[in-house]
Amino acid sequence: MKWVVLGLAAAGALGAAVVLGPAAIPFAELGTSPIVRDLRLPRALLAFLVGGALATAGTGLQGLLRNPLADPFLLGLSGGAGLGAVLAIALGWGGPWGLPVAAFAGAVGAMVLVYRLGLVGGGALDPRTMLLAGVAVGAFAAAVTTAIVSLAEASQLRNAFLWLWGGLSGASWQTLAVLAAYVPVPLAVLAAAARPLDLLALGEEPARYLGADVERVKRRVYLAASLLTAAAVAVSGVIGFVGLLVPHLARLVWGHRHRALLPAAFLGGGTLLTLADTLARTVVAPRELPVGIVTALVGVPVFALLLRRWGAP
Amino acid sequence: MRPGNSRFVAGLALLAACGTGAPGRPGALAVTDDAGRRVTLAAPAARVVSLAPSLTELLFALGAGPQVVGRTTWCRYPPAAAAVADVGDGLNPNLEAVAARRPDLVLLYHSPLNETAAAQLARLGIAAVLLRQDRHADVARHARLLGVLTGHAAAGDSIGRVLDSVVARPTPPAGVRVAFVVWDAPPTVIGAGSYLDELVTLAGGANVFHDLRPASATVSLETIADRDPGVIAILADSGAVVPPVWARRPEWRAVRAVRAGRFLVLPADLFGRPSPRAPEAVAELRRLLAREATP
Repeated sequence: MKWVVLGLAAAGALGAAVVLGPAAIPFAELGTSPIVRDLRLPRALLAFLVGGALATAGTGLQGLLRNPLADPFLLGLSGGAGLGAVLAIALGWGGPWGLPVAAFAGAVGAMVLVYRLGLVGGGALDPRTMLLAGVAVGAFAAAVTTAIVSLAEASQLRNAFLWLWGGLSGASWQTLAVLAAYVPVPLAVLAAAARPLDLLALGEEPARYLGADVERVKRRVYLAASLLTAAAVAVSGVIGFVGLLVPHLARLVWGHRHRALLPAAFLGGGTLLTLADTLARTVVAPRELPVGIVTALVGVPVFALLLRRWGAP
Repeated sequence: MRPGNSRFVAGLALLAACGTGAPGRPGALAVTDDAGRRVTLAAPAARVVSLAPSLTELLFALGAGPQVVGRTTWCRYPPAAAAVADVGDGLNPNLEAVAARRPDLVLLYHSPLNETAAAQLARLGIAAVLLRQDRHADVARHARLLGVLTGHAAAGDSIGRVLDSVVARPTPPAGVRVAFVVWDAPPTVIGAGSYLDELVTLAGGANVFHDLRPASATVSLETIADRDPGVIAILADSGAVVPPVWARRPEWRAVRAVRAGRFLVLPADLFGRPSPRAPEAVAELRRLLAREATP
């Protein structure tokens, strides 16, 4: 039943994203309009894929770090991506794909640094070390980014920040194809780690006694979640709250089993971001809001409600 | 870049020539700046620090260039401005660097941060005016105001009259429909609040985003495709490539003008800010739009 509801919500969100938009397109022309075919449809599907990727990555990281605050960008990836994007603009790295490639490279660079720091002290990937390393790497990247922005000519780099706030305006069939070819691999790695992640919730020692190869699972989950996030940030900037909020919502309905939790988070994240992007495109049309602002505006009140619920005796 | 730069320089020289002579009359000079502050000088300012590129350009056009003793890092026009001491980027003025130039007048862009700076300068006994030069009409007003303060009142009037006449001239009917794209990701366009929107109208074109009130705004790519401008205008420095790299992004191909390669590259030096060279800018834009209208 709850899967049916989620499936209907996902289909409804995608349908609304195709039907609604700032350009008035009559219902009868939806099938033939080039605006729908070349802009709306790939954008709706990209939003779904990015939202799903972020929520799944968030679920994996929350399970791995056993920390409810974990979100795909907590471990320094947004700082790394931002640095990559600002460098690409400041140095005029060419080509139509310069910005996304640089953002991806920056996020992967941050991931590698945090991973190396997490191995300090005996290759344990201790959650506390990882969190500290993530915050430190993120702060360092942000400092370098601000230094570049304050030394370079300002107007262009202001736009780099706008890009970083998140938006799906770069959606096209090509972007979608690249992401659709990339995302299944880390998703499959996370899905394969569903049972060990359940065991990990009991603590590392018990998980080990119950037969989980804890070190390997931690490595795989961290790398898969980070690579998903890096791809998402490359095509859409930093979109907050989807990866933090959706896993918690999914846990309320589906419980703590990752076998159900991961696909539910994927569908839920996709639905949420597709709806948020439709709002971003339409509420102030013809202007557009950064979708990260919409997810935060919707996400924070929902999150506050959740906190109240947990806080109740 | 297209030919015609020499014409702009010639036009500037002509404007500057009007400003020679007419030294300041004795007695107090009083003006009200854009913040509503009353500023009085005992005599025309002999040492001026300008903390806005558009105002630096205006000072040189007035013939007050030799009186300019400080400028921002971004004051690149006219080329003679490069010889003036650089006192910083002008956004958050370094008052020590400004005061070290021993100015008797400081020009600031009118912003809340600069109001504080003007008050601090007043405590040091340095007169400051806050001017917001965002629109075409601001340039004429400021030409007259700065003409008075620097002892080039006749030149100020002359520039003001020339600029007023640009607006007074009947606008030819709106022909080419233009979208001014200032950034590609997210797509950002020029709205009615910008000087560029005025220029397009004065040159007989129509900005397809004239209904947006701010100077610039992020819009959906879908809206640009739907409004279907005949030409995409972009501001660019002289080294710019045409068409811009983002024109090769697949999502931008949904816009017909992008597919057809209809780009209008406007030199940032002439079109980037409201300036006394507005007549040249309008004439140049009118010429370019006419060429677009008859391919």
